[in-house]
Amino acid sequence: MSSKKLLAILLTILTLLIGIIFILTILLRFNNEQPTSSNPTNDSLLSNKSKISLGGADPVTMDPHLAGDASSAQYIVEIFGGLVTITPEMEIVLDLAQSLEVSEDGLIYTFILRDDIYFHSGRKVTANDVKWSFERAASPQLNSNTSLTYLRDIVGFIERRYGQADEILGIKVINDKSISIQIDKPKAYFLAKLSYPTAFVLDKNQIELNPRNWTRKPNGTGPYKLSEWKLGERIILEVNNRYHLGVGSVQVIDYQLSGGSILTRFENGEVDIAGIGKDDIDRVRDPSEPLNKLYRQSNNFMTSYIGLNNTKAPFDDVFVRQAFASSIDISKITNITFKKMMEQATGVLPPGMYGYDPSKKTFEYDPELARELLAKSKYGSANNLPPIVFSDIGAGAEGSTDTQAYIEQWKQNLGVSVTLRQTDFATFLSDLDNNALQMYGIGWIMDYPDPENILDIKFHSQSTENNENYSNAIVDELLENARSETDPDKRAKLYQDAEKIIVREASWIPTYYSPLHYVVSEKITKWIEPAMIVPKLRFVEIAE
Amino acid sequence: MTNHRFDQNIDSDSIDENFDSLEVSSRWTDFVSRFLKKKLGVISLIVIITMYTAGIFAPILAPYSYTEQNLERSLEGPSKEHILGTDRLGRDMYSRVLYSIRTTLIVTFAVIISGSLIIGTCLGLISGYKGGITDTIIMRIGDVFASLPGLPLLILINAALSPKINELSRWIDSNTFINGFQDSGAASYITIFFALSLFSWVGSARLIRSQVLAIRERDFITAARSIGIRPRRIIFKHLLPNISNLLILLISGSLGAIAGSEIVLTWFGVGVQPPAASFGQMLYAGSGARTFQAHPHLLLVPAFFVTMLMFAFNILGDALNDVLRRD
Amino acid sequence: MLVYTIKRLFWIPIIVLAVTFFTFIIGRLGPGDPISVASGQIRDPVLLEQVRIEKGLDRPIIVQYYKWLKNALKGDFGESYIFKGYTVSELIFPKMLISAQLGFLALLVVFGLGVPLGLLAATLHNTWIDPFIVSLLLFFRAIPVIVIIPPLLWVFAVHWSILPVGGWEGGIFDIYWLFDVIAIPIFNSHVYLPVFALSIGGFGGVARLVRITALEVKNEAFITTARSKGLSESRVMYGHILPNSLLPLVTVIGFALVGILEGAFFVEVLLGIPGIGRFTFEAVKSRDYDVILAMTVILSVMFIIINLIVELLYTKIDPRIELSDGNKS
Repeated sequence: MSSKKLLAILLTILTLLIGIIFILTILLRFNNEQPTSSNPTNDSLLSNKSKISLGGADPVTMDPHLAGDASSAQYIVEIFGGLVTITPEMEIVLDLAQSLEVSEDGLIYTFILRDDIYFHSGRKVTANDVKWSFERAASPQLNSNTSLTYLRDIVGFIERRYGQADEILGIKVINDKSISIQIDKPKAYFLAKLSYPTAFVLDKNQIELNPRNWTRKPNGTGPYKLSEWKLGERIILEVNNRYHLGVGSVQVIDYQLSGGSILTRFENGEVDIAGIGKDDIDRVRDPSEPLNKLYRQSNNFMTSYIGLNNTKAPFDDVFVRQAFASSIDISKITNITFKKMMEQATGVLPPGMYGYDPSKKTFEYDPELARELLAKSKYGSANNLPPIVFSDIGAGAEGSTDTQAYIEQWKQNLGVSVTLRQTDFATFLSDLDNNALQMYGIGWIMDYPDPENILDIKFHSQSTENNENYSNAIVDELLENARSETDPDKRAKLYQDAEKIIVREASWIPTYYSPLHYVVSEKITKWIEPAMIVPKLRFVEIAE
Repeated sequence: MTNHRFDQNIDSDSIDENFDSLEVSSRWTDFVSRFLKKKLGVISLIVIITMYTAGIFAPILAPYSYTEQNLERSLEGPSKEHILGTDRLGRDMYSRVLYSIRTTLIVTFAVIISGSLIIGTCLGLISGYKGGITDTIIMRIGDVFASLPGLPLLILINAALSPKINELSRWIDSNTFINGFQDSGAASYITIFFALSLFSWVGSARLIRSQVLAIRERDFITAARSIGIRPRRIIFKHLLPNISNLLILLISGSLGAIAGSEIVLTWFGVGVQPPAASFGQMLYAGSGARTFQAHPHLLLVPAFFVTMLMFAFNILGDALNDVLRRD
Repeated sequence: MLVYTIKRLFWIPIIVLAVTFFTFIIGRLGPGDPISVASGQIRDPVLLEQVRIEKGLDRPIIVQYYKWLKNALKGDFGESYIFKGYTVSELIFPKMLISAQLGFLALLVVFGLGVPLGLLAATLHNTWIDPFIVSLLLFFRAIPVIVIIPPLLWVFAVHWSILPVGGWEGGIFDIYWLFDVIAIPIFNSHVYLPVFALSIGGFGGVARLVRITALEVKNEAFITTARSKGLSESRVMYGHILPNSLLPLVTVIGFALVGILEGAFFVEVLLGIPGIGRFTFEAVKSRDYDVILAMTVILSVMFIIINLIVELLYTKIDPRIELSDGNKS
C-alpha cells in the first residue's frame, strides 16, 4: 500500500505543479507583451536594426560544386562568387575579374583578377585559387553531379572528371593575377555558364583543413557570409564589409526555416517577404485589403511543360502529339485552377528572356481539330492507342490539380484514358534518363540567361538532356548556327525560328510560365526579385 | 486517430484474464441481448452500418462520378447541385465522401479478413494447439507487433514498399495477359492492406490461442479425443463454432483503428493513390490554416464524417468491451 | 522475475534484426532504389557507376546489410543520401531532442489533466457532470489530430494572432523578467499548439481509465469497510480510492507514449516544427532510404524497451500480477 500512496502523492504534486505553471504562463503571456530573447548568442545579430527576416528551406548542401537545387543555390550565390556573376537585371558582369579578353577565334578567355578580392577570412584570392577551384569541381573524388553539365566546354575538363588527368589542361595560371581558360569551340554562352555555382571559387586552405565539415561555416567571396546555420531552424547571413562590388546596406539576413504559413507570419510581422499561395491570392488582389498595396509580381525563368517521348508509342506519331496538345484547355486551368497566378505559355522561352517572342506559338484549344489529328495518325482512333501512363513528381495523397485536369480533358475530348503515376523526384529523374517514361509533367528552370540553356540543351538531337528524343535536322542546324553567332539580333532570330518548329511538332506541350507573386513589407524600400537565382541581397534597401 | 492501437478497443489481455469467467459456450444471443442494453453502442452501430451501406451503394447514391471535374465550378460552397460543395477540380464533395467511405470499407474489410481472420486465426490455432516452442515463437512475434509503434512503422514500410508495388503492377500490366491492373488502382490497396494486416493479427491470434488452451481441457473435447476424433476435426467441429462469437466481437472492435490508419496513411501520401477517393486525401487537400480560412468546407466536410465515424467506432468498441468484460 | 526479464531481453536483438533486415531488403530492392536517390541529377553512366561503388551498392545485398549493421551497432547509420556531408545520426539527434521535449510536455499534460478530470467525473458520478465529461472525452479521443490543427491554427494564429503559426525557436522555455528582477522560465509560445494537439487524444484516454477504475474501486469491499468505520468521504477518496485507481495508469504510459509519437508525425508536419516527425515525413517523400532505415530501428528499439519497462514496473507495483512468459504478454 505504501508504494501506491507514494505514487499517488507524486502524481498529485505533479498535477498541481503543471496546473500552476499553466496558470502562471497564461497570466504572464498576456502581461508581458515583449519577451526578451532566450538565446543570448544571437541577441546582438537578431536585435540588429538593419535586419530583414525571410522564410526559407534547408539547403541540401552549402558546397557550390555539389549543389544542383534551387534551395541550396539561393544561399550559395550570396555567400560565394566566381569570375563572373549575373545582375538582377540578367546581365552578365565580371565579379572577381576586373577585365576579360577573348581571343580572335573565340577559344581563349583571359581574365585579370581584381586587386581587392578577399575571402571572408581575409585571405586574398589569387589565380591559383581559381584554378584549384575548377579542378576541385572536376575531381572524380568530389563526384559532382553538376560540374560536367556546366563546365564540359573547357578543354581537358572531361578528362579530369573521369580521372584520366590530374589537371585541367585548358586552364592556365599566367601570374598571380591572371588566368586563361581555353574552350573546345567558340560558344557565345560560355561566359553565362561560368556564373553557375559549379564555377565558384572556394578557399583551398579551409577545405583541405576540414574536408568534411567546412560547409557548416563556409569561407567564400560573396557579399554575405554565413554566420549561423541550425538545421531546420535558422540561417543567418551577415554582410561582408569588404565586398568588392559594393557592400550591401542590410547588415543581417535572418532566414527562418521552420514555421507554418509564410503569409500568416508576414502578417504577424515575423518575416518581411512572403510568397502568396493559391488560397490567398483573391484576398491579396482585393484593393480594399491592406496587403494589396504590398503585392508584387515578377518574371521567373521557368517553363512548365508536358513532355511526350518521341520514341514511345503512341507519341512516335506527330499527329498524336499534336492531338494531345490541342485537346487540353490550358487557359482554363491557368485562369480557374491557378487563379491567373500562372500565365499560359506561348512557347518554350519564358518572358523576359533574351530572344523571347510574345506571339502565341502553342496550339489553340480545339477538340474538333484534335480528334481529326488523332484520326489522321497511324493509330486511327483512340481505341488503337497503347496504354498511356502520365508520370508526375509527387508522393502526396492528391495528384497535382493540373495533371488531373489534363487527364480528364483527354478523356473527354479524345476518349483516351491516361493513368497517373506519381513518383519521387529521384526515381523520376532516373526513369527519365533510362528513357522509361512515356509522358510526364515537369518544368525547366533556366540555369543561365541564354536561350541555349533551354532550346539547344533540350531539343538538339545530340543533347543528353533531350529526354523526349526529339530530332529534326532543320532545328539542329538552326541551333548549331546560333551557338557561334555573335550578332545578338541574328542569334535571337535563329532561336525564334527553331522554337516555332519545335512547338509545332509538339514534343513538348508548353503549359505555363510561373510568375512570382509575393508581398514585401513596408520596411523594405527596395527589393528586386530576379527571374533566376542570382545574388540579390546586397541591392536590398530598408527604411531606417 | 493517433492513439489507437489495433487491439486497444477491445483489450485482449482482459479477455485473457477473464476467460475463465466467460462462459465459453455462452450463446450468441446472450451477447446480443447484453449489447442491446447499451443504447449508445447500438446507436453507433446503426451510424456505422448506415455509413457503410452508403459506401457500398456509392455508385447508385452519388449524383456525380468521383472523378468528374467541372473547372468552372471549382471550390464552391454548398449549393443545390452540389450539396456539400466542390473541391479544387470542381468535383462533387458529396460524391467523393461516399466513395471515400467505400475506400475505407474496402480497406477495413480486406484487412480484417486477411489479417485478423485468416492469419490471426491460423496462428492462434497453431499456437494453442501445438504449444511448446512453436507457441513461444508465434506469441513472441505477436508481442513484438503489439509493442511496436504501429503507425510510424506502417508509414516507413509503406514508403519503402509502395513504389515497388506500383512498378510491379505496371510490369504485370505490360508483360502479362492481365490488363488494366494499374487502372483499377488495386496496387495502392495492396500495399496498404499488406502493411495493415501485418499489425492486425495479434489480437485475434491471442484470443484464439487462449480459448484453445481453455477448451482443450474441457470435458467434451477430452471426451471427443478419448473416442479417437482427430485434432483437426475437433478444431473445426467444436472449437471454431465455440469462439466465433468472441472473434466477431474482437474484430469489430478493431475496425475503427484500421479505418483510422488507412486515413492517416493516405494523408501521409503512402496510402491509397489518386485518383481513388479517400478521406485522407480530402483532409490533406483541406489542411493548412490558410486553406481553411479561404475554403473551410474543404476541411469541414471530410472532418465531419471522419470524426463521426471515429466517434461511432470508439463508442462501439467501448460497448463491446463492456459486454465482454462483464462477469 | 530475473529469468523473465532476461528472456524478454534476449528477444530484443532478434526482433530488431528481423525488422531491420526486412526494411533493408525492401529499401534496397527494385525500382526507386537508393542509387537513383544518391546520384541526384547525374546523367553520365560512368559517374553513376562511381556513385554505386562509393555507396557500396554494387556488393551483394547480404554483404551490404552486414556492413550496415556493423556500423549501426556503433551508432553510425551511414550518410544521408539527400543532405550531403551529414551523417544520419547528426541529422536525427538534434531533431529528436525537439520532439522529445514536446513529447515529454505532452505526457505531463496527458497525466496532469487527465487524472483530475477522471477523478472529478467519478466523484460526481450521479450528477449531470459525469456524462458530460464522458462524452467530451469520447469526442476528444475520436477527433483526429489532422482534423483539429487547421481550425486551431486559424483561430489562434490567423484570426486572433496570439500564437505563432507553428515553427520552433529556441528551447522549450522563454525567460521572462518580472519587474526586471525575477527571472521566470515560461513555456515558449511555440509549444502551446503542438502540446495541446499531441495530448488531446491520450488525455481523453487517461481520464476515462481513471474514471472507470475509480468507479470500480468505489464499490469494492474495503472501501465499504472504510466507510462503515466512519471515515469521512474525502478521506475515503484520497486515502483509498485515489491510490487504487491510479495504479492501472502505469500500464498506459506506454500507450500514451506511442500515441504521442504517432501524433508527432502529423503535428510536426502541420505546424512546421523541425522535429523527428517532420524530418521523417520529408525523408519519406524524398526516399532518403538510410534515414528511413535508421528511424525504423530507433523507433522499434525504443518501443520494445519502453514496453518492457512498463511491464516490469507493473509487476513491481502490483505483486498480484505474476509473470509467466506464455500466457501474458
